[in-house]
Amino acid sequence: MSLTRNPVAAMSRATAYATVAIGALLMLAPFYFMFVFATHSRSDIFSLPPPLWFGDALATNLRLLQDVVPLFWRNFGTSVYVALVATALSLFFCSLAGFAFAMYEFRFKRAAFAMVMATLLLPPFLGMIPTFMIMDAFGWLDRPIALYLPGAAGAFGIYLMRQYIASAIPRELVEAARMDGCGEFRIYWNIVLPLTTPALGTLGLISFIASWNSFLGPLVVMRSMEAYTLPLALRSMQSPVNTEWGAVMAGSALAVLPLLLLFMLSSRRLIAGLTAGAVKS
Amino acid sequence: MTSLPHSHAAGALRLPTTQRRWGRPWQTWQAWKWAPYVFISPFFILFLVFGLFPLLFSMWLSFQSGSISAGLASLEFVGWENYAFALGDEWLWKSLYNTLWLGLVSGAPQHLVAIPLAAFIHTGFTRWRNLVLGAYFLPYITSTVAIALIFTTLLSTDFGVINQGLQQLARIPVLGAWLPQEPLNWMGRAETIKPAVAMVVFWRYVGFNTVLYLAAMQTIPKDLYEAATMDGATPLQQFRHITLPLLRPMMVMGVTLSVIGGLQLFEEPFILTGGRGGTNQSAMTTAMYMFRTAFEFNEWGTASAISWLLFLCIALLTWLTGRAFARGGMES
Amino acid sequence: MNAIFRFLGAAAALCAAGLCQAQTTLTVAAFPSVDKIVKSAIPAWKKLHPDVDIKVVAREFADHHNAMITSLATGTGLPDVMAVELGFLGRFAEARTLDDLNQPPYLAAQYHKRFVAFTIGQATNQAGELAALPTDIGPGTLFYRDDILKKAGLAEADLTRSWESYVEAGKKIKAATGAYLLANATDIQRIVIRTGLKEGEGVFFDKNNKVLVESPRFVRSFEMARAVREAKLDAKIGAWSNEWSEGFKRGTVATQMMGAWLGGHLQNWLAPGTRGLWRAANLPAGSYGSWGGTFYAIPKKGANKALAWEFIKFMTLNKDNQLAGFKAEDAFPALIEAQNDAFYDEPVPFFGGQKVRLLWRDAVPRIPALDVAKHDAVAEEVISTELDKVLDQNKDIATALADARALIERRSRR
Repeated sequence: MSLTRNPVAAMSRATAYATVAIGALLMLAPFYFMFVFATHSRSDIFSLPPPLWFGDALATNLRLLQDVVPLFWRNFGTSVYVALVATALSLFFCSLAGFAFAMYEFRFKRAAFAMVMATLLLPPFLGMIPTFMIMDAFGWLDRPIALYLPGAAGAFGIYLMRQYIASAIPRELVEAARMDGCGEFRIYWNIVLPLTTPALGTLGLISFIASWNSFLGPLVVMRSMEAYTLPLALRSMQSPVNTEWGAVMAGSALAVLPLLLLFMLSSRRLIAGLTAGAVKS
Repeated sequence: MTSLPHSHAAGALRLPTTQRRWGRPWQTWQAWKWAPYVFISPFFILFLVFGLFPLLFSMWLSFQSGSISAGLASLEFVGWENYAFALGDEWLWKSLYNTLWLGLVSGAPQHLVAIPLAAFIHTGFTRWRNLVLGAYFLPYITSTVAIALIFTTLLSTDFGVINQGLQQLARIPVLGAWLPQEPLNWMGRAETIKPAVAMVVFWRYVGFNTVLYLAAMQTIPKDLYEAATMDGATPLQQFRHITLPLLRPMMVMGVTLSVIGGLQLFEEPFILTGGRGGTNQSAMTTAMYMFRTAFEFNEWGTASAISWLLFLCIALLTWLTGRAFARGGMES
Repeated sequence: MNAIFRFLGAAAALCAAGLCQAQTTLTVAAFPSVDKIVKSAIPAWKKLHPDVDIKVVAREFADHHNAMITSLATGTGLPDVMAVELGFLGRFAEARTLDDLNQPPYLAAQYHKRFVAFTIGQATNQAGELAALPTDIGPGTLFYRDDILKKAGLAEADLTRSWESYVEAGKKIKAATGAYLLANATDIQRIVIRTGLKEGEGVFFDKNNKVLVESPRFVRSFEMARAVREAKLDAKIGAWSNEWSEGFKRGTVATQMMGAWLGGHLQNWLAPGTRGLWRAANLPAGSYGSWGGTFYAIPKKGANKALAWEFIKFMTLNKDNQLAGFKAEDAFPALIEAQNDAFYDEPVPFFGGQKVRLLWRDAVPRIPALDVAKHDAVAEEVISTELDKVLDQNKDIATALADARALIERRSRR
């Protein structure tokens, strides 16, 4: 896109840049405050106006965090493990199913897809008790597998992959590969998958975040504090009347860092997907 | 169009074609038929094991009555009574109204802003792209504890930044007349709670949608734009005639997800109103009402019935959304 | 060599006699700050029971109770000892999935008199079963800013004589200092309906489950709330928000009615800078009430019941543990003998040297026992919503209460 020499266009372009920039700052604000609050005492946080710049209570808050949630780092590790496995499984299962829905015609396809979509409609907390019963029956209480397995082939992921594959990859490519004798799975693995990198990056990011932030699942299934994930551990220090807000904010800030890291890594993937070359010729 | 494009994937097909084609034609032919079933099987297996039982359980529960802490065996079968009660329940209808209002007012801007924003980021920001996108995506990953704390700070009647900003703006001669002269009691008055919650929901998800649209925009070949530029089309025209139509499939998906997500809205109103729904329950969505019916009022049967009624609403609205888009043109 | 074998033999015999038993673990599920109280009692416990480890499973307040509901529903994953807050106790007790502590082997009836009277009633269900033992209570009190009161030329009695005088005092305070009388008009409504109950009445329902929301005390409560709102005496802020905290810090809120434990919070983090400016008094109009309260229970399907019972007795019947909880976490003891200690006679600097603990201790025996009904939570919500309409949209009080009655009746028939 070249900048036109039209002054009106240039002005509107400048306004657009300014608006986007201001919007970005507004998006950023609460996030920024979380980090600022992590360095202040509870009394300061709970005053108005709230502190705008970093304070000096970070060490105190971290120590408080360690006192109130002694297993914080262990819970952190559990969260990392569960989220990584959940994401890997999700990427695999969802892209596989999305590929099937996008590229094949088969009986019951519409019904099957409708059922996939229907699962999006169920509110999670009603499933608390039956989920508990299932996990108990399998003996999976207190074990990470109870967290990463059930949602591994989520309907959102399948929908996203199906959408992307259908628009990004021409059927002819698949047909040609098939005519050349390529097995179905190899078509998926060697041809389709590398071309869906932007969607995989997006799905991976979203899956990781969903797993990382989920607390209802762990609440139901994790019975002892050693097995807690991070949200549960952080919540365990929140009382209706007596929360150590500084420590909670410090914990939340630490909890969000992996997500930030992941976002920075995956957004590079999104760009890489673009530079790998256009798909439709 | 039928020749293989120059993608690195093509290089992987180093198969001696004659051997493969005549060697096992029947296997390849069969594979084409049963492969899709295998590919979608992980979903269905997981669903049957972990999804179906909770579904059936909640359906069973919707026909029961009693206190769940007394054990599942103590519940009584009451037929359609929970459904009948729910349909005549004024709080349920109030919550549906709240949900639809919040869904529309927070959902429509999400897409109306996300699409141009994604286009702008896609084309305008090369160096700062990750940073800007990251900034818009941050709300989605910010912890709900932080969100609750910070927004109650911002929305404070006497001390909050938003009201103070509005007070300053209200001093401007002409523009100020349109703005409220008194500080608004955002979270206290029924009329202002809804816009406040809608604003937070918008803030939370606009970046998410932007990321989705950005991913979709990357499937649009650059040559289309280049050809259009050579034909003299302005960026705005290119946006309207190339980007928008080709974004349609992602729009369908995005809007459908917004419809579903909007109808199931729970977290943001919950944390902002402390779980109660605000003055006169004006921010109590149906999902929150369901939650309160189960955990506060201890009526799990009714809560399950409400969830199924909500399911019907969502299914209906999703179907309507699909039809609205399909009638407009391209199949999704 | 022989000596060694003899020594080993003796040791083996001792072990066989059960003196070095295998470690047992007792699981206690709790929420903040009960979990802290339990954890700090572990060293004393270990002295008495060196072979029993205590494993505390702490969850956030609502999460804890939700997890307990799940476990009670399915009968699995239950802790050995369950901490329950008053708000959830009624429902758990009625569900009859907690052991009746009056029965053998617990025989708690002998201990009833050692606890504050109303707490035993709170833990007893309609079948007469004692579902839990109380560990702490929240005696209601009126905190007020003495400096603001003096500036308006008022005395404590003006606040507490009657509800009308409380509101009048509020107007004078507003005129003289600009401070609000209280945080929210809904607070006054909630308290007024809990006073002046007739024998056999619960707050919303009577013994025959008749709905009581059109009775005079409800009408009065709505009128008081409206009077406060119309005179602009309330700051319209929610409790535990940062606005609320700021109101205390800046002195824009002159009084707060809540459990005695609020004093500790004011001092520690809500408004530490206002040291010496606050006083505590009994609630206006001779009202007495309790805010919250924690109990310990043993689930029917739990394990290690004998040890669980020992632990509960250890936490609730032991004066030292009760006092420790009070000193560390403001958990006012439910055990009467733990209220006899020099600690209560101490002047408290935050309250300008007032002996607030004595005030609260003396208020405790006068707190009435309130019957808990199955649909209290629903009724509470109905009244709260109608009150919102009265305050926010000027709805007529009589109509609001009539609507409330109809709605509660409809919902409580189930």
